[in-house]
Parts: sequence; structure tokens; C-alpha cells
Amino acid sequence: MDDMTDCNDIYELDELLGAYALDAVDPDEARRVEDYLAINPKAATEVADHREVATMLAFTGMEAPDDLWDRIASELDDGPEQPAPGPELQRIIHATPTVAVTPAVPAVEPKSTAVRSLDDARQRRRWSSSVAWLAGSAAAAIVAVMAITVVVTDRADAPTDPLAAAIETARADRDSVETTLVAENSDATADAVIDQDGHGYLEARALPTLTDDQTYQLWGVVSDAQVISLGILGPNPELETFTVEGEVSALAITIEDAPGVIADGNPDGAFVGTF
Amino acid sequence: MEDVRQDYVEASDAALVVAIGRYQQAALAEAYRRHAGAVFGLAKRLLSDTSRAEEIVQEVFVRLWNDPSRFDPERGTLRSFLLATTHGRSVDLIRSDAARRAREEREAREQADGGYDLAREVWDMALAGHVRDALEALAPGEREAIELAYFGGRTYKEVADELGQPEGTVKSRIRSGLKHLRQELLEAGVSSGTA
Repeated sequence: MDDMTDCNDIYELDELLGAYALDAVDPDEARRVEDYLAINPKAATEVADHREVATMLAFTGMEAPDDLWDRIASELDDGPEQPAPGPELQRIIHATPTVAVTPAVPAVEPKSTAVRSLDDARQRRRWSSSVAWLAGSAAAAIVAVMAITVVVTDRADAPTDPLAAAIETARADRDSVETTLVAENSDATADAVIDQDGHGYLEARALPTLTDDQTYQLWGVVSDAQVISLGILGPNPELETFTVEGEVSALAITIEDAPGVIADGNPDGAFVGTF
Repeated sequence: MEDVRQDYVEASDAALVVAIGRYQQAALAEAYRRHAGAVFGLAKRLLSDTSRAEEIVQEVFVRLWNDPSRFDPERGTLRSFLLATTHGRSVDLIRSDAARRAREEREAREQADGGYDLAREVWDMALAGHVRDALEALAPGEREAIELAYFGGRTYKEVADELGQPEGTVKSRIRSGLKHLRQELLEAGVSSGTA
């Protein structure tokens, strides 16, 4: 911003922040304020605060019309098709010795055969650093592919976290199935448990942290020995949850280019566990 | 919608947005369930037109689907983001000449029916009492400027013209009024996350 050295300009821009937050400035002023916000985090925070206040003023207790969602849903793009992983990953998974455990998850017909490529999505969607950060580490990532949905939720940092309690409950349930995912070239492991209702939990804190341009990716072997992508875990996964619909005989974690799935899957250094 | 949404009922708003980025329609459905009412309410209040308010709701959620990266969780809540988008789009419509004429006609009719009261508009809010108190604690000039700018869709210059006050005064009152509102609400233990 060329004219930002003038204290009067800064004062004027600061004074505009309230009006800007309420969309009450001219387009030219809006552009000046936006340039200012880009270099002044304090001002950006102030605008965010103003908008939060406006949010409270805006609440009216109304409900949207019942049929409006249907109209919205009809406009949504389903996303690109996701190719299946290559045969190499399947070979590695199936070469791993199988533990004789009866899967507790009942077989359920897939809800959808739509499989989506997050690699394609990566090209279509440029994530802000903050959202990408959420996906990779702190908040959540949710990916559904075919019959299996992986819901990556907030980390459980405290022992009293409901998620940690849910894992303990799942582990204590005799009808749950558990596996430890191991790799030939690493001492690190990840533990997974799936309860009888199909709720899965992945404890992946021990996995080495990846660089920002890489991510862990979770795979599963479903019926007919098909390997499908279950989701993106980010470069530093900790405690993740997922919901399984259908029979899963094995899980695998691979290292991929961030932010997500590639068509062939990368079997090098895969962590594999079987049920 | 009920069935596909089950996995996301307990997900945080931030988690929903990440899932939306992964083309999870059920996540958008859950975001809609949580926030569409507020979005619709604001759009309808601004536009005074149910049909156009519905169009805004549709546009806001389709935009979230097509470009979820616009939401920055470090900059505020999802509701705040959606309402800011709603407000911006509604104001764009209001400021078009045709919309302005229609709106002014509608406002004239509404004011003839008893006028407009900002406190009444938020009466139904879950924590309406605190918000009402905060609004009442504002200086009259602050409250009036915020009301005309936010719910009237006017620029501060237009507000100044309408009130016959200097532009700088109105600009400052909007900013100071928002700060005072925030302070009052924080002292009352109210945040947007509880609204």
C-alpha cells in the first residue's frame, strides 16, 4: 500500500473499520481497507470482531423454508471421480499376515458408488492455509468414499476428552475389532479399533510428522478385496475417527503428496494392519 | 436429508467446512440445518422480500460448497462468515437502483405501520435480553448509525446524509458503537458462539 506511511491515512482507515465490517463503505474505500487489512493483522482482527457482533444482531430466530434445501442440493457439483488405487498397494496389503479376527461390522450395501479424487479436488480448490491447517492437524477432515466414511475430528488433547473416552469404550467392547498398523521400514505404529456399530478410531500420534507438502492417507480393504481410499489424515495425524459401513478386512496408511489422494496410491513405507 | 447428515451432527463447524471441501454434501446439509435460518432471517430483513431472501440463502450455501476456502476459521465463526456473506450480497442488491426503489416503497409502507425498532428485531434471539440491554446502552447516535448501516444497507455517507451529520461523525459512531456493543456483550457473557 503506497500511501500507508501517512498517519492520517492510517487514522482514516482505522475509523472506516466499523463501517467496512457492516458493508457500509464505497467500493473504493472497501478496496483501500482490504489492502490495509492485508498488512495490519490488528485491524483485521477488529473487523472480525465487528462482524461477530453483527452476527448477534442479525439473529432473528427464523427458519429457512422447508423446500429450500432441495433447491440448493440440486445445484451442487458432486465432484470429480476418484480412480482406484493401483495394484501395488493392494499387493502390499494382502501380503501382510492376517490376524484371525471376525469383523464385527455387518456388511452393508454401499450407499453410493461415487468415488471422488481429492487430487482432482486439489486442482479445483485452493485451500487457504488456515483451512488446510485444519484439514491436516487441528480441527477436522471428513472424507467419504464409497461405503466407508472417515470422519477426522478434533484432536483429543485431554484425557477427559469425549473422543478419548469413546476410544476406551470401544477398546473395552469385546465385539470391537482392533489392529496395529506397522511398516517394514519404521518402528512407528498406529492403532485402530472399530466398534460393533462401525465407529472407527485411529490413534496415529506415533507416526513421524511429515513435511507440509506431504500427507498421510488412509486406505481400507473392503469386500471383494477392493482397496479404497478412506481419507486424508494430514502431515501430523493424532487421534482420528471414522465410521465404517461395510466389511473391512485391513487398513493401510500411505504417505502422499499433500493435500490428498493420488490415483495410484504410494505403497512405499505403507503402514498396514489387518483384522 | 436426515439420514445422510447423521455423521456430521456432532461435528464442529470447522469440521463441516473441511468436509464440504471434500464434496461431502451431508456436511453442507448439516451446515444448512444449523445456519440457514439465520441467513434467511437476515436476508429477509434486509430485502423485505421472501423470494429474494431465498435466492440469497441458495447463493450463500452454493458459494460455500463451491469455494469453502473462503471461510477462515481463524477469522471468526462459520455463522459470522455466512451472515457477512449474506449481508454483502443483500446490500449489493439493495444498492441497485431498481432494488432501492422497491425497497424504499416497502419501507415507507412498513414505517407507516409502526416504524422500525432494532431491539424488537432481536427480541426472539436466544439471549435477546443481553443483546437488547447492550443496544440500549449505546448512545442514541451510535445505535441509529449502526441500525441504518447494517439493517438499512446504507453506506456511512448515506447515513450521514440521511441524519444530517458529518460523515466523519457517523463513521466514528459506527465503529465506537460496535466496540461498545461487543464490550457490553462480553461483560454479559455473550458471544456469537452462544447465539
